[in-house]
Amino acid sequence: MAKGICVFAENYNGKLEPASAELVSAARLIQETTKEEISAVVVAENCDDIIEELKGLGVAKIYVVKTSRDLLLEDDAASQVMADMLKKIDPSSVLIPATPTGRSLFSRVAMKLNCGLTADCTELLVGTKEDGTYYIKQNKPSYGENVFVTIITKDGYYPQMMTVRPGVYTVPEKTEGNAEVIYMDDIEVPESKIEVVEVLPQEESTDSILSSEIVVVGGRGALEEDNFEVVKAFADKIGAAIGGTRPMVDTETIPFDHQIGQTGLTIRPKICISLGVSGAIQHTEGIKDTKLFVAINTDENAAIFKVADYGMKADLREVLENYLKL
Amino acid sequence: MDIAVLIKQVPVSNNVSVDPETHALIRGSAEGMINPADLNAIEEAMVLKEQTGGKVVVFTMGPPDAEKALREAMALGCDESCLITDRVVAGGDTIATARVLAEAIKKYGNFELVLGGALSADGATGQVGAMVAECLGIPHIAEIQSVKYDEDAPDKIEAVKKVYGERFLVRAALPAVLSVNFGCNVPRLATLRSTRAAKNKPLTTYTNAELGLPEEQVGIQGSPTTVIDSFEPTGGRMAEMIEGTPEELAAKLKNLIDEEKGNL
Repeated sequence: MAKGICVFAENYNGKLEPASAELVSAARLIQETTKEEISAVVVAENCDDIIEELKGLGVAKIYVVKTSRDLLLEDDAASQVMADMLKKIDPSSVLIPATPTGRSLFSRVAMKLNCGLTADCTELLVGTKEDGTYYIKQNKPSYGENVFVTIITKDGYYPQMMTVRPGVYTVPEKTEGNAEVIYMDDIEVPESKIEVVEVLPQEESTDSILSSEIVVVGGRGALEEDNFEVVKAFADKIGAAIGGTRPMVDTETIPFDHQIGQTGLTIRPKICISLGVSGAIQHTEGIKDTKLFVAINTDENAAIFKVADYGMKADLREVLENYLKL
Repeated sequence: MDIAVLIKQVPVSNNVSVDPETHALIRGSAEGMINPADLNAIEEAMVLKEQTGGKVVVFTMGPPDAEKALREAMALGCDESCLITDRVVAGGDTIATARVLAEAIKKYGNFELVLGGALSADGATGQVGAMVAECLGIPHIAEIQSVKYDEDAPDKIEAVKKVYGERFLVRAALPAVLSVNFGCNVPRLATLRSTRAAKNKPLTTYTNAELGLPEEQVGIQGSPTTVIDSFEPTGGRMAEMIEGTPEELAAKLKNLIDEEKGNL
């Protein structure tokens, strides 16, 4: 019987990624009900610091495959190692950070193990089956406006595997860790058909929207009549770059590469003024770390008001026209 | 170099809802469009085709009217298309879907490269590309910014990938799968002429009868995961609502912006 909650210890340059540390907190919440052991799985060339960090997070066991080369981006090889480890550990669940590496690597692992992979969970809850065994309810935002779905891994498929959005859980406080470290030396690291050739110099970001500290974001409401002209005048006045949601891109009001959200850009402006944006999670995902976030929308139930610091239920045109007079 | 491009149709707007009974997606309208990142994948395919020759075949899985998306892709320059349509394969999760796409690619022919958009505008799991690569037993580079092919090293492809705050030049042995990031290039537009020409380009339709996958491996039945519930989020934080006339709101907005600007 599969048992235990396993956390994928994503690492880069010999350091544990914070998104993985957060998952130990998610695992603890599951553990409160299931009483299962929490372990971490590490595949790395330089493991020592990672193991120390994991010990400090209070996991019970750390399974390690120490590799003779860095497997960075070598998903074909790393996924084989990971699948072999999980077959031996036989956990009931595997928690993975929903990062580029997490999703590309574990997509392959899931296919190898034929076990499914739920993407981008924002909440993990424990459910109880009729026979008294537990399962994980994998909650995540779904398509469209603000709907969440609960996904489960069907009976007969193990382990339950899911990626969890970074930032949902917090990194646990450091403890005096005494985790058992298990080196799985018998697992072979296959050759990879991928190689990292070099690290390229950083690009100068010429895209004003990515570097701008002040951003005005337009949504469907900004498309009505000639509202966009007013939005542009407002952006000019406050010295902001203009981004938008998908309707703005679909109508070619703003360029293709100024779409903000899950499939577009992620921006980190200090000031974000959101105009006529409903606030679908696909869009709001793309705005992070703002210091001031004001939303104007005529619909007081618009989801954007759950993300903004300040909200104004108003016609954006009326407010902006007055602003331009100030 | 022969290239397969995987595309999917996504709803035109984000205004879709979930059926409370079946938890299936109710599309706001029958209108669909090619997923934006897939257009970037098509563009990369066209540039490579111009460089190397060969053909570009676009694949999608969906209802019969997904033909529209394939015709659109062919209007952008793809040479041939393949529609996988069968009730048996519908409704699958990423694992079951990837299995079908990989099988269709294998059946259709030999491709040196498979391209697809990195994330879809609706599901946005970003998983299918990697899973197709796994089914085909070939390497995959996810979420890439650009592709480079060098005729002097014809068995390799290079891509630039941003991750961990760095830009990496990554090389994969062909055949390979690359998932292309949204917005990494400017997709070409169809012309009236190319749209007309696309009507006569080949479209092959596969049902599972042609693919021959066991029914317990595809569609809803072959999916390891299932949606059991959907709900509206409750509670959570709420913005501080500011009230007043438009004049007052404008003044307050100016105060907030000016105050924060002072901190920049």
